Amino acid sequence: MTFTRRTFVRLSLGSAISLTATAERLLAQGVSTHTAKPLPRQAPSGRPFNAHFVDVASAAGLHAPVIYGGVESKKYILEATGCGCAFLDYDNDGWMDIFLLSGTRLEGAPVDASNRLYKNNRDGTFTDVTEKAGLRAADWASAVCIGDYNNDGFEDIFCTYYGQNVLYRNNGDGTFSDATKAAGLLNEQPRWGAGCSFLDYNRDGNLDLFVSNYVRFSFEHAPVPGENNNCNWKGIPVECGPRGLPTGRHSLYRNNGDGTFTDVSRQAGIAQATQSYGMTVVAADLDEDGWPDIYVACDSTPSLLFMNNHDGTFREEGVLRGVALSDDGTEQAGMGVGIGDYDLDGHLDLFKTHFADDANVLYRNDGKGNFDDVTRTSRVGVETRYVCWGAGIVDLDNDGHPDLFLVTGNVYPEVERKLPQYANKTPRAVFRNLGNHTFEELIEAAGPGVADARCSRGCAFGDFDNDGDIDVLIVNLNEPPSLLRNDIRGKQNWIKVKLEGVKSNRSAIGAQVLAHYGGKTQAQTVLSQSSFYSCNDPRLHFGLGGLTSADLDVYWPNGLHENFKHLPANQLITLREGAGRVPSRGWSKT
Amino acid sequence: MILFRKLGLTIVLLSCHSVAFSQTHENRIEPISSALRAREFDKAVELSRSALRESPNNAQLWTLQGIALASKGDSKEALAAFQQALNISPNSIAALAGAAQIEYQAGNRDAVSLLNRLLQLRPGDPTGHAMLAVLEYRQGNCAAATPHFEKAGELLDSQLDALHAYATCLVKFKRLDDAVTVFQRAVALHPDDRQERNLLASIQLMVHKPQDALATLGPLLEASNPRADTLELASNAYEDSGDTPQAVSTLRQALLLDPRNVSLYLDFANISFAHESFQVGIDVITEGLTLQPNADDLYLARGVLYAQLAQYDKAEADFERAYELNPNQSLSSAAQGLVAVQANDLDHALRSVQSKLARNPNDPLLLYLQADVLSQKGADPGTPEFQLAMRSAKKAVALQPTLAPARAVLAKMYMQTGEYQAAIDQCRKALISDPKDQTAVYRLIQALRKTGQKGEIPDLLKRLAQLREQATKEERERYRYKLIEEDTPPRPPVQP
Repeated sequence: MTFTRRTFVRLSLGSAISLTATAERLLAQGVSTHTAKPLPRQAPSGRPFNAHFVDVASAAGLHAPVIYGGVESKKYILEATGCGCAFLDYDNDGWMDIFLLSGTRLEGAPVDASNRLYKNNRDGTFTDVTEKAGLRAADWASAVCIGDYNNDGFEDIFCTYYGQNVLYRNNGDGTFSDATKAAGLLNEQPRWGAGCSFLDYNRDGNLDLFVSNYVRFSFEHAPVPGENNNCNWKGIPVECGPRGLPTGRHSLYRNNGDGTFTDVSRQAGIAQATQSYGMTVVAADLDEDGWPDIYVACDSTPSLLFMNNHDGTFREEGVLRGVALSDDGTEQAGMGVGIGDYDLDGHLDLFKTHFADDANVLYRNDGKGNFDDVTRTSRVGVETRYVCWGAGIVDLDNDGHPDLFLVTGNVYPEVERKLPQYANKTPRAVFRNLGNHTFEELIEAAGPGVADARCSRGCAFGDFDNDGDIDVLIVNLNEPPSLLRNDIRGKQNWIKVKLEGVKSNRSAIGAQVLAHYGGKTQAQTVLSQSSFYSCNDPRLHFGLGGLTSADLDVYWPNGLHENFKHLPANQLITLREGAGRVPSRGWSKT
Repeated sequence: MILFRKLGLTIVLLSCHSVAFSQTHENRIEPISSALRAREFDKAVELSRSALRESPNNAQLWTLQGIALASKGDSKEALAAFQQALNISPNSIAALAGAAQIEYQAGNRDAVSLLNRLLQLRPGDPTGHAMLAVLEYRQGNCAAATPHFEKAGELLDSQLDALHAYATCLVKFKRLDDAVTVFQRAVALHPDDRQERNLLASIQLMVHKPQDALATLGPLLEASNPRADTLELASNAYEDSGDTPQAVSTLRQALLLDPRNVSLYLDFANISFAHESFQVGIDVITEGLTLQPNADDLYLARGVLYAQLAQYDKAEADFERAYELNPNQSLSSAAQGLVAVQANDLDHALRSVQSKLARNPNDPLLLYLQADVLSQKGADPGTPEFQLAMRSAKKAVALQPTLAPARAVLAKMYMQTGEYQAAIDQCRKALISDPKDQTAVYRLIQALRKTGQKGEIPDLLKRLAQLREQATKEERERYRYKLIEEDTPPRPPVQP
């Protein structure tokens, strides 16, 4: 009788299976442990897709590159994760302006590196007003979330950074002030702020703030490519992490109503979640109890779902509710999150993006905050080639069925030299909703702006030219951004809803709208962050197909429920809490 | 079992002695007993024969004759004498012991019934238990043997073979901690027995006590000429205790001693694999293949390593070669399918698996793979592909109930069809085979939630969190070192 460990393993486990499972984990090294095989593609539906995206960034005047780390290779993960962007109307003229984050380089920021604010000229072009607005900054920025934290009627900007997050208060005159210290948001020590979201978790009418943290990182202690097994990808030395690096700590700040915040992470039950690499944050009422919950996409660790207990505390139930792990119980590299109602059942579903060799996952909400992974049945799982980031559940062709959109880009620019199948710059993708709970992936068919290969990160959805469709702003690392104008074809109708809180927070963040049209109901909510580290146009956009009107149910954050009947299509409807419809700003190009 | 024989004889003598003295009026008994004690066996035989002519139905006389004949080495005649005694007095302990002794020495299965009868009369008799245990063990019946080994108690401490058999049975029943204790008794009995030390170290490794294993192997390693198998075990122990450099160094030492030992190359492949040093592993296995060009296991291992470097063509070639060399090796026939899965070529994977299944339709691994590939291809419930996957998975678990991955696929498909209770059953069975199966725990949580059976969920959530934490810890340990090419300047290992 001779025993060896290996003999026993082989005899008892049928080793190849365990070996392969282990191999998949090892291949993933510093990133997620989960891999998925692409589902076979169905025959093309042959149905025309009326949205058509063209990159007009250059013509629109968005010339400055988004500086972020090394171009040919990355030494640290800090250089790789990139940053987000936002559509916001900072000057309340009714036109979406653009805010783009930027990073820096290990050797120091190039002269023109900066976050950038572009004012919408209402003619398809933008003017860089960064200096005038007082927003020049060149550091390792991550995420942006937008919200009127002081309820003064002007949207403020919160940015996360490696080091110190910054709250930019909108002065209402086209300028911003750094209110971080005054608001009590200074860190005691440098942290790597990642996702963020304004939300009114205690429904007092003031926007509170949730900030996820990615990893605890320091240049002094960070390993370098190839240094250990978390620093290799498919045998190639690459930047290390996040696995092997200490996890971040997430924070919840309660708005005191006087321009200051108090860190309530511990008493709210947020600080107990210590084992996650947090990224994008979305805050929405997922179980439809009238209180906002918080979902955090987490990289290489279980994603988190904090359910609101209505008493200032949260309970984390991601695993229980089916949104923490893959359908086989493995952690995934959660990056971005789209939120919307793909199946028109009136409930908010989630779409989370992941690393290459894994599928992005679509979770269907049963209305009680329990989710089913429908990646396979919806055919979203046909795509596993790319590292995916910003994403949305948005109706791109105004047919009344929300589609999926995502942007991609590798984190290891050096890998493509040895493994060409893992290119650094990769295309965007549209998953057009076929209306039967399944999707069809379109790349070239959605226009050159989608097929264009870039190393992208955040993206924001909004109607920058106020023409009644969804355009897309995209961050490309070390290149100028993309602005995908949607040149929609055909005569599909739509309705757009702008909400203004009164008792609720002025931005109406957390408000939920049910649009009823053609016997269907679509849910949308006002968000402060989604996609990847980004913020969408706050005006909720509903495609209506051939229908000419819609009914709306509005659920305000403070509990008020209002409904509006027979609203005509093809217009922006502005609704003020408790006051009904009010004139819209800026819809006319004049 | 020499000592059992001696002890058995002692029992018989004592029994007869007591029997003899209980019948002092039989003046023919005492001379025979005296002759036996004086080891005058021929005389004892003659005296017994003489006495039996006058008293042919005296069981004691037959028993004494049996003892005398057995002592002379005439087992056949002795057994006949004991049987005569038992015919007359079926419960004669001395005759039972004598007959059992002879049958036991002959390896005859008839000893079992004799010993069972003996133990009915003397339930605590350690020798009877010991002999019965060994006989059951020899028949491969560890379930019957183990209780008797346990009742034999300290008697075994003088019996290396019995201790060895006892420990082997304990290993079979996965009572590894108990097996360690028994092997320790064996090593205490024969400290210089290399095999027993190696076995003890093996089991200590299995119970994740690598430092104990190294202590066990210490005397062998300190010897002037440690053998390759000992060095191999020591390498495993060093690796398990986190000392990868020493593990590699020891393994290289073993390879120098025994360069044709395939097992050593496989160990090297394992270490290379665990530390993501795939190319180093490939290089070493290639060296091994120059000496053992027909070792299918080496091709299989190298193929796995090639697959990690995304060199799928080379991996597939190695798996094909392994299959050519040993078509009956289930693993190599499945490996080609596995590498195709890893290369995201599910159609190729399915073709490969199905071609192998055509030759081995009852291979559970291949059946599982067929189900898994079909499932990964997105077969929808109700389709022929889904039904085939379901049949394959069911057959796989029927053929190999411990094949947890097949149960995982089956549970997944039941979830898809809404058969949540069946999914729950599969998850529970998978967890019996592998209590650390995170997928099974997760799916069980989801299935219980779907069926409204929420009482168990909080504990399962805790269990899943603990499993994840444990897996992360183990992974961190595994990642501490990376093997490097010898011509690369060495760097100190870094704790991630």
